[in-house]
Amino acid sequence: MQTLTKRAIAGTLLSTTFLVTGLSSALIAQEATMVLPAREVGAPSYDPIRGTKLNVATTLIYDRMVLQDADQSYHGQLATAWETSEDGMTWTFTLRPDVTFHDGEPFNAETIAWWVPQFEGTENAFMTEAIESVEIVDDLTVRFIMKNPDPNLLSNMASSFMGVPSPKAYEELGDQYGVTGAIGTGPFILESYTVGQDTVLVRNEAYSAASALSVNQGPPHLARLTFREIGDDSTAFLEMRTGGVDMLLSVPADFRSMLDNESDVTMVTLPGRELFYMPINTTVAPFDDIRVREATALAVNQAEIVDNLYGGLGAAADTFLNDSLLESNVDDALRISYNPERAQALLDEAGWVVGTNGVRAKDGQALNVKLWTQNGTEFRRITEVIQAQLIAVGINADITVLDPSSINAEYRKGTEHQLAVRSYSWENADILDWFFSSDRIGYPNVSMWDDEPAEEMRILAMTGSRTWDERVANFTAYHEYVLTQFVFAPIYQPVQSFAYSSTTLSVPEQIRSTRVQSQTFLDIDVK
Amino acid sequence: MLLFTVKRLLMLIPVFLAISVVIFMLVHLVPGDPIDNIIRVGATPAEKAALVARYGLDQPIWAQYVNWFSKMVQGDLGDAIILRRPVADLIAQNLPHSLALGSLALVFSTVVGITAGAIAAIYRDTWFDRGVMTVILLGSTVPSFWLALLMILLFAVTLGWFPVSGARTASALVLPVLTIGLGGVALVARVTRVAMMDIARRDFVMMLHAKGVSRWRIELGSVLRHAMMPVVTILSLRIGWILGGAVAVEFVFARPGLGSLLITSLNQRDYPVVQGCLLMLAIAVMLGTLLGDIVQAIMDPRIREGMK
Amino acid sequence: MALRFLWGVVHTPRGGASAFVLMLVIACALFAPLIAPYGYALQNLPGSNTSPNALHWLGTDEFGRDLLSRIIHGARTSLTVAVTAISISVVVGMTFGAIAGYFGGMFDRVVTAVVDLTWSFPEILIALILIAIIGTGTESIIIAISIAYLAQFTRLTRAQVMALRQETYIEATVNLGAGHFHVIFRHLLPNAITPVIVAGMLAIGDAIILEATLGFFGLGAQPPIPSWGAMMSSGTAQIFIAPWIILFPGAAIALTVISINLFGDALIDALNIRSRLRDV
Repeated sequence: MQTLTKRAIAGTLLSTTFLVTGLSSALIAQEATMVLPAREVGAPSYDPIRGTKLNVATTLIYDRMVLQDADQSYHGQLATAWETSEDGMTWTFTLRPDVTFHDGEPFNAETIAWWVPQFEGTENAFMTEAIESVEIVDDLTVRFIMKNPDPNLLSNMASSFMGVPSPKAYEELGDQYGVTGAIGTGPFILESYTVGQDTVLVRNEAYSAASALSVNQGPPHLARLTFREIGDDSTAFLEMRTGGVDMLLSVPADFRSMLDNESDVTMVTLPGRELFYMPINTTVAPFDDIRVREATALAVNQAEIVDNLYGGLGAAADTFLNDSLLESNVDDALRISYNPERAQALLDEAGWVVGTNGVRAKDGQALNVKLWTQNGTEFRRITEVIQAQLIAVGINADITVLDPSSINAEYRKGTEHQLAVRSYSWENADILDWFFSSDRIGYPNVSMWDDEPAEEMRILAMTGSRTWDERVANFTAYHEYVLTQFVFAPIYQPVQSFAYSSTTLSVPEQIRSTRVQSQTFLDIDVK
Repeated sequence: MLLFTVKRLLMLIPVFLAISVVIFMLVHLVPGDPIDNIIRVGATPAEKAALVARYGLDQPIWAQYVNWFSKMVQGDLGDAIILRRPVADLIAQNLPHSLALGSLALVFSTVVGITAGAIAAIYRDTWFDRGVMTVILLGSTVPSFWLALLMILLFAVTLGWFPVSGARTASALVLPVLTIGLGGVALVARVTRVAMMDIARRDFVMMLHAKGVSRWRIELGSVLRHAMMPVVTILSLRIGWILGGAVAVEFVFARPGLGSLLITSLNQRDYPVVQGCLLMLAIAVMLGTLLGDIVQAIMDPRIREGMK
Repeated sequence: MALRFLWGVVHTPRGGASAFVLMLVIACALFAPLIAPYGYALQNLPGSNTSPNALHWLGTDEFGRDLLSRIIHGARTSLTVAVTAISISVVVGMTFGAIAGYFGGMFDRVVTAVVDLTWSFPEILIALILIAIIGTGTESIIIAISIAYLAQFTRLTRAQVMALRQETYIEATVNLGAGHFHVIFRHLLPNAITPVIVAGMLAIGDAIILEATLGFFGLGAQPPIPSWGAMMSSGTAQIFIAPWIILFPGAAIALTVISINLFGDALIDALNIRSRLRDV
């Protein structure tokens, strides 16, 4: 009897606890639960130096030297002022005073002098590659001595990978840094992190390093912030619809129209930073023939994809870069747009003649090509449409659906791949260097592009530009050249949208970043 | 009884050794190199060699096995290559979720399955029997991810009784448990029904009827009790299924679990995690079988005698 | 004799109804190109996600493809995969099971240990691991599914053979000096085969579901070839916009698998082999 009573009481207590936690996000103020974009699911650490996949919470744990506004202008955060010498060979940064890490360690010039060299030998080394050394001028002033002028330095400094970690914690935790702990100076402190599940952040009460991009200059309004990782798009959508979460940081394309109709959900659409493209392996027949590459690229009907798969949202991609980048302003004649007549003519010219079944052939060999795609509704859908568009000009593409990490593994193995439908999300023209540098043949240079003139133009763009304008001109020229080589077939530029519950959250109307990041989170409040 | 248990435990040792070899080798059959997935782009061969050496992948495979096994028996499953944390931690994070989901689903299938099976057997060969068995069949004839979605639509979206997904509250367990549990009901019901019909034909049951014992007392008191043996066997043999069979459901409900961990790491070629998960599943399977044997031995003394 | 027996099965209400559905599904699989009103890959993007109508009885999918035609062609993929995989599994399983059950000894012990372990492992995990090793595609999932179900048939055959081995007439045949091969293939297997075949038939239903689940993970038949699982997987994203995309293939699976089960049950009753199948 005794035990029975005890158990009954324990049971009641237990259910009460669950009831309270169930209601907490609605009743107790200043808490919010958000769903991370599906592409950020499974980020294995909060280590900005060594990590290659980071989620948005990284920008809340760590501050960066500078932040970028939606108009791509730069605003100080950990750095309050900066200047570069005439020849671009030095950069001087004045640091924000009175900043401390979550573990109480001070932030100063020594931190930066320690931090920059940490990138050496990591995947993110390219971020600091142009920096020869860091000089400590005084406690709050550092000077970067450059190997070569790098007008892109500020853009790099504004990247999520440039969150500054606490040197003490970083050294102490070693390999486990970012996994068992992550210490920055940011507006939120990491409370718990279960990879693939959720990350809980709590307010940094002492925060005062807000940039000019936030209205709120003190600690964040939200006391507690939970980021959930949900892989399945429909599940994420249903959580938003039923009020299980307060915000979706990325609304899957399929569900935009549905959420738009919900009265208590506000959906905001921002210019996209992503680009869908089809890399073409230039070393494998028939794609070693530039005419076949051009025909393939011209066979892609971008407008059909925008109109029918995305209901007109987003834009056709006709270069290798996102429209928002200056380097995408190339000569109109070089833009790659749907032109089936020219595609047919090129294939005829290359000796591929139409057979009885509609598939072209040359020397008794049918024009069968491999088309890879990754698992996921959006990719599969675009790929199936492209398959139909290719067969319309006589190219028979066999689709293989692979897990995203398997695709990369396959590329690194160097198998004879041909075409694939891929996407990237990057806000700088140096993505061209990433994709087409002869140093990275195999992966990420999956086009296996190795070309003398291209290399010269690439190196000039990467290391030979002294000013931002010069860099834009050099990258535009390089971009124009690779466009003429049809190493990619550009497909689609999506928009990005996020949605939040208008009954529980207030979100600033103007998003002062290229995607929702720390500057906006500082201003988000509960209603 | 103790002797029986100890004997059975000792018999598991060679099996465990064999399994550990198989698991270790199996993982190395998977094409693709985990180092290729973590090494920085454009790394020199020396950098790669250093990484390979760091994870001990440069040693001959038998040496890798011995190394892995000796650490494993001390409870050290190594570090995840991609996820960069101890495999034991990852398993500790995921296993409780699998255990909760699996065991509750097992309880659900057992209770509902035995009840339905018993009712069907008592009203054998009537429309009632066929009706019950067909309705129950429905749960196991649709893919679980589909059932999961329908459950969410009905109970979470339309009725709003339970959260859509997650694993942070107890109420979030209800829908996954129902989804998995419904899938297992048909099996348990089928086995119960057949076993009861089998027992009902035995002489001792006929005797009870002749003695004038009431029908319900016979069916529930004697027949059902004797029919539990095959049910226990089936359940004990399905223990691995309980822990790892929920991958698709875990995905739809965005729940952690051993199955999901295994599949994610398999895709990322994170060898140590895959090995750790498979090992956990194998241990669960062995313990399940052992448990089944012990329960059977308690229920049927002849088995115990046979072991001596 | 066989005809009369089948008549006996089909004559019962559930036997008849399930046989009818199964015949329909098999006919779809065999004559898909003749029956289907449209090609399975024929896209019509402006006409995507239309609800069922006179032109498209079950509506269209996100590419404007006719859903009915895809379900008919999908029957071909799903049945081919399930039937081929289970056939391989039955043949190999019977061979292992018969040898293990007949000879006993070390081989039997090893086989039993392996079978007991894999039998308790979830089929979905076995299949996913095997696909990671051998790669994706229709052939791979056939192999993966056949291995995933191998344990079941090995176990069942072994049990049957062990039971039959005790029978006096088998002992007599052995004592008369008949070769092992002769005994296994002429006397044991023919007598053990019925329950195994029936269990195999029931397993086809499970294999269809397993194929669908693999399709959910993007494994198996590659687009645009339809399979019921792949169709449902791509339909999850449109569950509100076009619920028919996920509902009809799901219904096709449920109907087929229920029919297989009911028909199998009717067969079991007609053959009176219920007790021999108890452990399956």
